[in-house]
Amino acid sequence: MATIRIPTPLRAYTANLSDVEVTGATVGEALQDLINQHNALEPHLFNNGELRSFVNIFLGEEDVRYLNGMETAIEDDTNLRIIPSIAGGSEQPIRQVDQSALRVNQALIISLLVLAFVFNLWWLVAFVSAVMIIGTIWPDAALFKLIYKNILKPANLVEPDVIPDNPEPHRFAQALGGLFTFGSAASLLLGLPALGWTLAWVVIVLAGLNLFLGFCVGCFVYYQFNRLGVPGFSVAPIPVEVDQER
Amino acid sequence: MRVLLSTQLSAQIEAHLEEAYPNEGAGFLLGAVDHDAVKVERVLPLSNQREQEAQHNRYELSPLDFARAEEVADASGLALVGVFHSHPDHPAQPSTFDRDHAWPHFSYLITSVQNGKAVLTRAWRLREDRSTFDEDEFLLGEI
Repeated sequence: MATIRIPTPLRAYTANLSDVEVTGATVGEALQDLINQHNALEPHLFNNGELRSFVNIFLGEEDVRYLNGMETAIEDDTNLRIIPSIAGGSEQPIRQVDQSALRVNQALIISLLVLAFVFNLWWLVAFVSAVMIIGTIWPDAALFKLIYKNILKPANLVEPDVIPDNPEPHRFAQALGGLFTFGSAASLLLGLPALGWTLAWVVIVLAGLNLFLGFCVGCFVYYQFNRLGVPGFSVAPIPVEVDQER
Repeated sequence: MRVLLSTQLSAQIEAHLEEAYPNEGAGFLLGAVDHDAVKVERVLPLSNQREQEAQHNRYELSPLDFARAEEVADASGLALVGVFHSHPDHPAQPSTFDRDHAWPHFSYLITSVQNGKAVLTRAWRLREDRSTFDEDEFLLGEI
């Protein structure tokens, strides 16, 4: 009988046998017999009936792809070998977010909304809302970030703090904040100060959580939607990298 | 599953991956598998076989590399227990591409190399249904 040599990682599926005896007149028949004997091998060798691209069947020193493929004839004393190629690699281009731009944005939102509350200025709430909504739709026109980029950073008043992160969740958080602030301004205009200031304080507290504790509630919501597969929330979190003990 | 690696072998892996930077580096892990632990006894750093232009985010070890690694393992009474590779300027977690090309019952050590410096290594294992990787406990130290 012909034999097929099993690579180490697949021996778990052949009761730890390193060589399996098979019948068949061709490489394809021999592999089919192997799978008939050890069903669990199939998904690791084949994909939709085709040999996986990184699975190589060798007859002597030759990859059967360069012989007659699955039709390559074998003898009773043929020794076939399954030899993997090992492949992989990182995927997404690295994405970065300047945390300082976000912090300046949060600090200005908090300051202006508190100012609006103290002096009872509905139009200042409306202004913050407009800045946030415009900044969500056209990120290049986000006023508070422009202040950071064009004034505070060049003057070295705020140092950049660029870390790997996804911008989408922050944009989503900005959109949520913008809507709450819009609701606040609208309520104040309509003579509902209790509701209006409650909404404004929700935004102040959430922006404060992010600014002082680094917890972005909007991002958290975004990633929950991502986890649940909600359309439009396609970006998965970048895992937190903690330095290990070494 | 736990993966045990000595600081000395870890340093050998990191040196190889830092040298490969900004490209991906890779190699094999040889060792012994207990029922719930993989003890790495030896590492085989190898050249990335992918074309130069693709090496920044791809690695490949050829069938010949694999066959030789198995021979080395057999000759030294060890088993081929896994693969290590780097993600230059990327997190130490498997990509979809890693998953599509991974083997079950293999330890995959992924090292994030940031600006030429190995910063974090994590251990992963392909689920048997190939759906995803699970993280293994990675223990570094004198073993």
